[in-house]
Amino acid sequence: MSEIARKVTRYFTSLVLIIIINFILPRLMPGDPVKNLIGEDAYVSEEVMEELRAELGLNLPFSEQFISYTSNLLHFDLGYSYHLHAPVAEILLNKMSWTLIFVGVSVVIGTLLGCFLGALAGWKPERKASHFTSFTFVVLSCIPPYFLALLTLYIFSFKLGLFPSKGFYDTPEIGSVLHHLFLPVCVMSVFSASRNFLVMRGSVIQEKEQLYALYARAKGLYNTDILFRHIIKNASLPIITLLALDFGFLFSGALFIEIIFSLNGMGVMIYNAIMGKDYPLLQGAFLVIAFTALLANMFADLLYILIDPRVRGGSMDESV
Amino acid sequence: MKILPRNTLLERNTLLERNTLLERNTLLERNTLLERNTLLERNTLLERNTLLERNTLLEVRDLEVSFQGMETVTVLSGISFSIKESETLALVGETGCGKSVVAHAIMNLLPPESRVKGNIEFRGKSLSEMNEKEMAKIRGREIAIIFQNPSLALNPVYSIGHQLVEPLCVHQKEKKKTALYRVALALKRMGFVNFSECMNYYPSWCSGGMNQRFLIAASTILNPALLIADEPSKGLDKKCITELEAELKNLKMESKSALLLISHDLDFVRRLADRIAVMYAGEIVELANSSSLFENPLHPYTRGLLNSLPEKGFIPIPGFSPPLNSLPSGCRFHPRCPLREKRCIRVHPEIKETGEKAVRCFLYP
Amino acid sequence: MNQFDCTDNSCMKEAGIEGFSEKKSEGSNFEFPEETSYWIFQKHKGFQGLFNRIGVFLFILFVLMALFPSVFAPYAPEERFIPYEAPSEEHLLGTNDIGNDILSELAFGARISMTVGFMAALISTLIGTALGLCAGYFRGALDELLMGFTDVVLVIPKIPLIIVMGAFLRPSIWILISILGLLSWESTARVTRSKTLQLRGAGYVKSAQCMGFSSYHIMKSDIFPNIIHILFPKFMLATASAMISEASLSFLGLGDLSMKSWGMMLSFAFSQGGFIRDMWWWYMPPGICITLCVLSIALIGFGLEAKEGEHFKEGANTL
Repeated sequence: MSEIARKVTRYFTSLVLIIIINFILPRLMPGDPVKNLIGEDAYVSEEVMEELRAELGLNLPFSEQFISYTSNLLHFDLGYSYHLHAPVAEILLNKMSWTLIFVGVSVVIGTLLGCFLGALAGWKPERKASHFTSFTFVVLSCIPPYFLALLTLYIFSFKLGLFPSKGFYDTPEIGSVLHHLFLPVCVMSVFSASRNFLVMRGSVIQEKEQLYALYARAKGLYNTDILFRHIIKNASLPIITLLALDFGFLFSGALFIEIIFSLNGMGVMIYNAIMGKDYPLLQGAFLVIAFTALLANMFADLLYILIDPRVRGGSMDESV
Repeated sequence: MKILPRNTLLERNTLLERNTLLERNTLLERNTLLERNTLLERNTLLERNTLLERNTLLEVRDLEVSFQGMETVTVLSGISFSIKESETLALVGETGCGKSVVAHAIMNLLPPESRVKGNIEFRGKSLSEMNEKEMAKIRGREIAIIFQNPSLALNPVYSIGHQLVEPLCVHQKEKKKTALYRVALALKRMGFVNFSECMNYYPSWCSGGMNQRFLIAASTILNPALLIADEPSKGLDKKCITELEAELKNLKMESKSALLLISHDLDFVRRLADRIAVMYAGEIVELANSSSLFENPLHPYTRGLLNSLPEKGFIPIPGFSPPLNSLPSGCRFHPRCPLREKRCIRVHPEIKETGEKAVRCFLYP
Repeated sequence: MNQFDCTDNSCMKEAGIEGFSEKKSEGSNFEFPEETSYWIFQKHKGFQGLFNRIGVFLFILFVLMALFPSVFAPYAPEERFIPYEAPSEEHLLGTNDIGNDILSELAFGARISMTVGFMAALISTLIGTALGLCAGYFRGALDELLMGFTDVVLVIPKIPLIIVMGAFLRPSIWILISILGLLSWESTARVTRSKTLQLRGAGYVKSAQCMGFSSYHIMKSDIFPNIIHILFPKFMLATASAMISEASLSFLGLGDLSMKSWGMMLSFAFSQGGFIRDMWWWYMPPGICITLCVLSIALIGFGLEAKEGEHFKEGANTL
């Protein structure tokens, strides 16, 4: 029970910390807070600035500002983008769905691929094939994701002309979408697989030394049966945590890949926001990403409870 | 011996060159006679076996195991013993003398950096020459093992039921449903009242004693011909040990399987074993019937062990058993032996059999 | 952010060692922890040795490049020639949009990229070690507090936060270093803590406590020397990950404009038309350099970690 209470406090603290960071950043950073809040390049006259200062409550004490800020958040009011002339929440909602589909599909493929290959490489690490996959994935994990995307785009789209080079679709049909998304999803899957692979490999190497693996062999299980019937479930437990902690990283990797492939999701939006110094949009994006990461971690904890009986604990009475 | 007159008869027959019909008759006669004769012989042999000796199930000859690492350490050398059908042989010795390695060597479960020499025969087939696939068919079905740490030997993330079903599914290709039914029966036999509930438990929810029984159930569910119990009493309290003892006895009565019992607990062993092999620093130093070993121990180490029992005065053997990577010269026990002679320091004694007993000491020629 | 982070895995491993060390201590032979050397060159056999040697060779090459860029660069990085020139004898890797020699830029970029990586890793390792040591040594409420804080920080996605902060602050290499360093200490803290927890139960720490040494002294001279061999691979992997982060942030235009790192070169090549014009000599070399440099550092880090693994394995196999 206390464990649950601890988790809840931690998540709550994280949430509060994220909100505080988001609140404080524009107000503490060098420069005029109004400029920081509306974006540097948005052109407004002096009077409008003063008006905005009053409207945003920047003359009020910090505590009151914070209260109004949080109440705005509770109403899903993330501010207004003066560049795109639309509420931030609306823009984000619009862009987020595509990115989530893209990330979701690739991470699932990548995780399955990485875990499977990683488990095999960890099972017999001395094999030539294991050395090969290990080295390949180490190299892949050392390539910045956008450079990998750049290379594949260059080779498969520009040189070989097999795939279109930009956008989600020409016509909103499933075939066109698949054709457009194939390369980005491949790159993203490889990127996500390279992160799971190494952890899974290490995990399997460690788990196969455990007594239960030896007992499985003593029961008469043969070779990879031991791996797939016993070790893989134990070894994939760290993967769940890794995936959750990795969420932010994978997501940002996806942003870069989106930028390269000109997919009109959050990546391109953030890129444009940086270029145009559209601070409200950037902050809103950070808030949403951080919140999603928090949810992912909570989900991972729940999943852990479902899969690992040691965490769950059980009530049992020893009756003979 | 009895064949001879018939042979001479046959010879005479052929010599006299009777007609072919007659010849065939005699041939027939001889055949049936011969057959009956061998049958008789076999019968008497069988009878004698059941009276005196049963068939040998497992034969270990000159087993030597070494681990290769930074330096090669020979953990076992010159281990020879045999187990007959439905017999219980106990291996006793201090912690670290290589008892568990014997068990793992028989099951071919040693880590890849180990080297095994010598011969292990199970029902006349050499186990050490088998490949992993053939061995997998024997493991669990013919030879099963109970590991010394039941809570670690069960997989923490699978339910007890799932793990108990596995041997049935793997070896007998049984459907999960019928297998689960058999598992429930097995658990009921092990004395679990709430057996259907137990199947949904996980090892981490249960006590060591419960896990021990689950492990025994998993290992005996296919009625293996040989069950190896590696330190089954380790880490259990007195009550659990008594229960365990009763269970192992039951098992022997019911399924007639042979038992290789590995333990450091002399009392426990005494109540279960037919024969006992005492191990010291990777060797067998004495092998004898349970009763004769306790009444008349020969090897000084065995005597020392018995004297260190609480009821015999609690007198410890002086010194420590040597680490396996730096064994003393000559007899491995000589630094601690009260009866050592000059040759004990130089010459390594061979194990000698005298009747039912075998002992590795110069005192017994 | 934590590109090469295997936090939980290693935590579990530590837990495994913890359990095992208890078992081992039964055997009464008290062992003093051996002194281990931390030289990057590992004497592995076969593939691992080959990987390690490749890593060390590349690493030395890049360090030389960072220390003495003028040896590798034919011109000064600011010198201007005809823009958009293809590779020739004069300019081995051609020139970029403002006429800088790309090979020279590349050589001078090594120092910046590697400085960011190593400095950020140094900061994160220092913070992580300090927090981990304190949490593991004092345990109790402080441990709870520090590790709770670590968990809280762990959840916050790093790169998006850096993007927001980088957008607010005027991009500069030092800000980049401090942000990267301040946000990536969690895994080091966790590993240090679990190892410290394990070490504080060891005989020599207990005897030091009995002799009345101060906590600071024990942490400094009894515990710290015994965790360096874990920290060093962590440091290398943190460097690798910081370099990738730097390259990524520079790509978004959040790098220091006055100091052209490899990531910045790549960013310019992409945004100033090098990619569209099919000028492979412009965007390929910096990308390959980042990859190889990160790879060499990671290979060294993995090599060191594998060595740790062997130590662990040796212990576990005594039957």
